[in-house]
Amino acid sequence: MKILLIIPAYNEQENILRTYNEIVEYNKIHNTNYDVIVINDGSKDHTEQILKDNKIPHIELIHNLGIGGAVQTGYKYALINDYDVAIQFDGDGQHDVNYVGNIIEPIKKGVSNMSIGSRFVSDSTSEFKSTKARQLGIKLLSSFIYFFTREKVYDVTSGFRAIDRSLIKKFSISYPLEYPEPISTTEILKEGYKVSEIGVSMNERLGGVSSIRSWKNVYYMLNVLMSIVVIGIRGGKK
Amino acid sequence: MPMNLRMAILMVAIVLLLVIFRALSKKTIPVKYSFLWIISVIILILLALVPNTLIWFASKLGFQAASNLVIGVFLIILIFITISLTIIVSSQNRKITLLIQELSILKEKIKD
Repeated sequence: MKILLIIPAYNEQENILRTYNEIVEYNKIHNTNYDVIVINDGSKDHTEQILKDNKIPHIELIHNLGIGGAVQTGYKYALINDYDVAIQFDGDGQHDVNYVGNIIEPIKKGVSNMSIGSRFVSDSTSEFKSTKARQLGIKLLSSFIYFFTREKVYDVTSGFRAIDRSLIKKFSISYPLEYPEPISTTEILKEGYKVSEIGVSMNERLGGVSSIRSWKNVYYMLNVLMSIVVIGIRGGKK
Repeated sequence: MPMNLRMAILMVAIVLLLVIFRALSKKTIPVKYSFLWIISVIILILLALVPNTLIWFASKLGFQAASNLVIGVFLIILIFITISLTIIVSSQNRKITLLIQELSILKEKIKD
């Protein structure tokens, strides 16, 4: 099985090398062969220099695209290079490579098309669960998604997710540019794809700036809720 | 409707028409994007030339003054144009994203 970790990076000079080294180390110890592709989304700091100096496999986007466009580039790369599983993995130290094995398990078994690393399912040992306000927001999104798809997903904003070949192909063609996680999850649930959630532990960000800034949260919520409603009304194609 | 207003509308329509044709002949806009503007100009000219129809329409629709109908029509045309521009920009945005992604992947490929 060919497995690819897609690491979108925007101004991640503090964390990117450590994140990469942890994956390489993990591969050595556990005898796995997770490939890595960093998508440098037009960083303005020294991310590109670090990637080059350390010979980290990466694609340098010629212009900043935002998280959705960056991750989609990774999916396109996975499609071209014939990967079986593609995992979005944050470069800022939030995600732990030790959980990758658990997350890809449902895809390996063929029981689901997408597997989400979740902080909010019962087997999650995560100490870090984000702020109260944000948890409330996630609950609201989760209930909206349930209302329109009749499927329960708890950690809808988690960026730690694995997808199989069918979704690699689908997302390569069409993927939301902004706030991709909840929107794409709703879309695929509506179209009848199977999604599982696996408990993981996440860390607080070690550095850099989160892509969801606090003053933009209201706008974020409105945007995502509206998108879910639109997808819900549009109905499934599958 | 006052003669002044009719003249003003006619002038605006002529200027608009000139601007559109100039842009078309210089190929700064393609023909398909000019249709909406040309239709707007035709409506304006009709308003200026046959104001009685306009006054009749205005009273039927419940406008207190014919000039209000003119403003209303303007507004609707502008909203229409803005929506069509939003659609055009969004589709261009998708194309630009695609170009950036494919070019970046290609650049990475030819490096090694």
